[in-house]
Amino acid sequence: MDVFLQQVVNGVTLGAVYAVVALGYTMVYGIIQLINFAHGEVVMIGAMVAFSVISALAPSGLPPLAVVLLGTGFAIPVCMLVGYSMERLAYRPLRRAPRLAPLITAIGISIILQHLALMIWSRNILAFPQILGTTTYFVGGAAITNVQIAIIAICVALMGGLAALVYRTRLGTAMRATAQNPQVAGLMGIDINRVIAATFVIGAALAAVAGVLYGTYYGIAQYTMGSVLGLKAFSAAVLGGIGNIPGAMLGGVLLGVVEALGAGYIGDVSDLCRYGWIAALMDVRCADGGHFILFGSEYQDVFAFLVLILVLVLRPSGLLGERVGERA
Amino acid sequence: MLLEILGLEVRYGGIRAVKGVDLRVDEGELVCLIGANGAGKSSTLKAICGLVPVHAGAVRYAGADIGAAPVHELPRRGLVLVPEGRGVFPQLTVDENLAMGAYARGDGEVDADLEHQYETFPRLKERRSQTAGTLSGGEQQMLAIARALMARPKLLLLDEPSMGLAPMMVAKIFEIVREIAARGVTILLVEQNARLALEAAGRGYVMESGTIALSGESSGLLADSRVREAYLGEGA
Ligand SMILES: Nc1ncnc2c1ncn2[C@@H]1O[C@H](COP(=O)(O)OP(=O)(O)OP(=O)(O)O)[C@@H](O)[C@H]1O
Ligand SMILES: [Mg+2]
Repeated sequence: MDVFLQQVVNGVTLGAVYAVVALGYTMVYGIIQLINFAHGEVVMIGAMVAFSVISALAPSGLPPLAVVLLGTGFAIPVCMLVGYSMERLAYRPLRRAPRLAPLITAIGISIILQHLALMIWSRNILAFPQILGTTTYFVGGAAITNVQIAIIAICVALMGGLAALVYRTRLGTAMRATAQNPQVAGLMGIDINRVIAATFVIGAALAAVAGVLYGTYYGIAQYTMGSVLGLKAFSAAVLGGIGNIPGAMLGGVLLGVVEALGAGYIGDVSDLCRYGWIAALMDVRCADGGHFILFGSEYQDVFAFLVLILVLVLRPSGLLGERVGERA
Repeated sequence: MLLEILGLEVRYGGIRAVKGVDLRVDEGELVCLIGANGAGKSSTLKAICGLVPVHAGAVRYAGADIGAAPVHELPRRGLVLVPEGRGVFPQLTVDENLAMGAYARGDGEVDADLEHQYETFPRLKERRSQTAGTLSGGEQQMLAIARALMARPKLLLLDEPSMGLAPMMVAKIFEIVREIAARGVTILLVEQNARLALEAAGRGYVMESGTIALSGESSGLLADSRVREAYLGEGA
């Protein structure tokens, strides 16, 4: 098996999901310069709702694909409602407040949503019913499953659809106009409150699908799953250039690949037995091909945040971002 | 009477920027509002459009009180502002900027109007796929005006359209303003270039530190010694 190719396949799968979530961060930032830290929780709620629907319908004898689609079909409107409500009730009244106020509010909403989920779905790790049969294909030394292929295909379709919406439709043009100059957008007859609400709702719909995909991929869901996933997607948005839509897509996929490669190689690289002199120095016994691994693949999560720190230090505007301070 | 302002006051925190302005514009008129920096001209226009709150007084447009109407409602009723500094969307193309000008319209003649704007402004047509941020200042002003015309305004408010432009381009912009007025669009023109504004307009208002100091026929204002001294750069 080719470790490199395998990790790229795994990384692209996960990265595609990160990218879809990162779009929600970047669109909201682009239009109202708010980092919506509660966005990860919307992903979690999407996964949870889908979990409930899929668990309830799994024994019903419906075709598995129909069950998963129904789960997604429920998750999307619930998340859209959550996204709409948080904008309408929490962020809109703070539109003119200092930027710290909505930011702290976002953290508050995140906590509220997590605890609502805790009350509804318990604190347990919930196992997604594995109703979709998995088929594995081997391509050039790497294994790829039908689920992975489906995840990548769905994410690519979502990103294509979003790009078409933003760059080809009247609403999309109004969204970009509002991001660039909300006052003048109003003067053109654009109801910017509606455009901003639409941005939240679209981001939340994407988050819902991402939640279902993530839950299906890992087979589990838990009320806390949104925090780390959200932070990673946020890192992806920053990597691509916050506020920049193609940037979020690129950043998501890149981050997924970096993370997977990091997880794939860190064990090898940090195996002291590869470095005879260090092993000798530290009196580590490596006889008969033994290992002394300092950092295992459980350090996977570290890479996303290393990337975030590096970007913030070296290139705060991100890969595709404009000068710092410029709007999307 | 298309626009009538009575006792308008605008405040920014404790600062009184507009202190009781009365002003009216009749259908088909080209009226100018001139005055020095900080006189309150832009604040007056912003209050008409709902960009800043009307602290006191009334703004009536086409028979309705619009003092509390939301900003995005007014283009639908034919009241459009070309803001100071043009306000083009820098990362949208010329085409997209013009499309946004017609955002409030629901009729099917938008495409025809777009072509019409391009006939009037051939320089914009050549640059229709370019982003607006790459245009020169004069071209951006043309785009801002063309974009406002896409809304089919009854009343067009222009805030210093000649600001920062070279003399040739200033002349061109004034020519365009006259043409629009000749087509029957009512215009309220705010300008620092008092001579050109008064020559183009039928009537004028002179604003000084938040109040109307003088008003009347343009010919009268052009001949007024106070105007000549303060705004036309002539000795008394
Ligand atoms: N957002 C604001 N906050 C505080 N004060 C403001 C604000 N906008 C304008 N002002 C003040 O209100 C007064 C009038 O400003 P306004 O922009 O209306 O003047 P103006 O006649 O358009 O001037 P100019 O010819 O320079 O554009 C000025 O003293 C200005 O400093
Ligand atoms: Mg002004």
